[in-house]
Amino acid sequence: MIDFKDPLVKKFLYVIIAMIILCPLGILLVWNYGDAWGEWDVSELAKKVHANIQGMEELSGIWSYAILPDYDIPGWDDPVRASIGYIISAIVGVALCLGAFYGLTKIVYSNRT
Amino acid sequence: MHIPDGYLGPITCAFFYLIMLYFWYRGIKALKTLHPKQIPLLGILTAFAFLVMMYNLPVPDGTTAHMVGGTLIAILMDNPWVATIAISIVLFIQAIFFGDGGITTLGANCFNMGVVLPFVGYYIYKFLRNKVGDVVASGIGAYIGIVTAAIVAGFEFGLQPFIQPGYCPYPFTVSVPAMAFAHLTTAGPAAAVVTAIVVWYVKKTRPDLFELTKKSMEVS
Repeated sequence: MIDFKDPLVKKFLYVIIAMIILCPLGILLVWNYGDAWGEWDVSELAKKVHANIQGMEELSGIWSYAILPDYDIPGWDDPVRASIGYIISAIVGVALCLGAFYGLTKIVYSNRT
Repeated sequence: MHIPDGYLGPITCAFFYLIMLYFWYRGIKALKTLHPKQIPLLGILTAFAFLVMMYNLPVPDGTTAHMVGGTLIAILMDNPWVATIAISIVLFIQAIFFGDGGITTLGANCFNMGVVLPFVGYYIYKFLRNKVGDVVASGIGAYIGIVTAAIVAGFEFGLQPFIQPGYCPYPFTVSVPAMAFAHLTTAGPAAAVVTAIVVWYVKKTRPDLFELTKKSMEVS
């Protein structure tokens, strides 16, 4: 379904490969920065705010099955290994996006009338 | 802009899932109207959107932000509904496999980044393109699209304490300026530049893709 013969799609593919290689920039440029606003870890937030966040603490742990949490191999915390983990995550993520898109188009176009 | 689990209460989450059912339904229908040539491009743009969101940019207040790519997809497909589908795929994968953005908040995140962002961006582009040209219009559209989406997300955070307390503790007087600031200063300019460059390049090298949508509109 994804026809790589289209020259524009091919160009985008090269861009995607380059972006995968360069993606550690996306963590290294912000290494000493905090999280995005509103994306803090709830257990960290609980220490800082003195408000009732009971519901928040209950809901925050609902999904703990991410294979690459925070786009990294758990425990790979130093800049070099986190960068490798980030590249692995980029490859896995791109593959999953293409796979999911392919699956969806298969379903959608199979009952095209 | 990925709201994690816990920040929005059950009522808010259910509300946005309900809204998204309508947009997903319309998006799937729109997918069927695409020209076969557009489909592989939409697939590769979905992967592109995943990657641009990995490029976190430093915000002067010590936080980070990233662009999304929704306006770009809406413009290149000439259809904001299919951008909703592409961005929703990305957000779903991010939530399930990378723990980025929540499962309960997926509806809200899809609404902010997959509906508000591409629709605002696309219609600003449509409105301005005959006045300032496609390239500049796409940049302005991408900028206003992402800033609007961030402000809407800010209101979701900030209205939560008034809808159901116990979740996001910050009122909108705090959350809206914070979300707007990050995207006005960092993610917005990045989105504008990247979107404008890609639109310029595609227009120059593949004007047939823009003709495609014109023709399919004339036929239908």
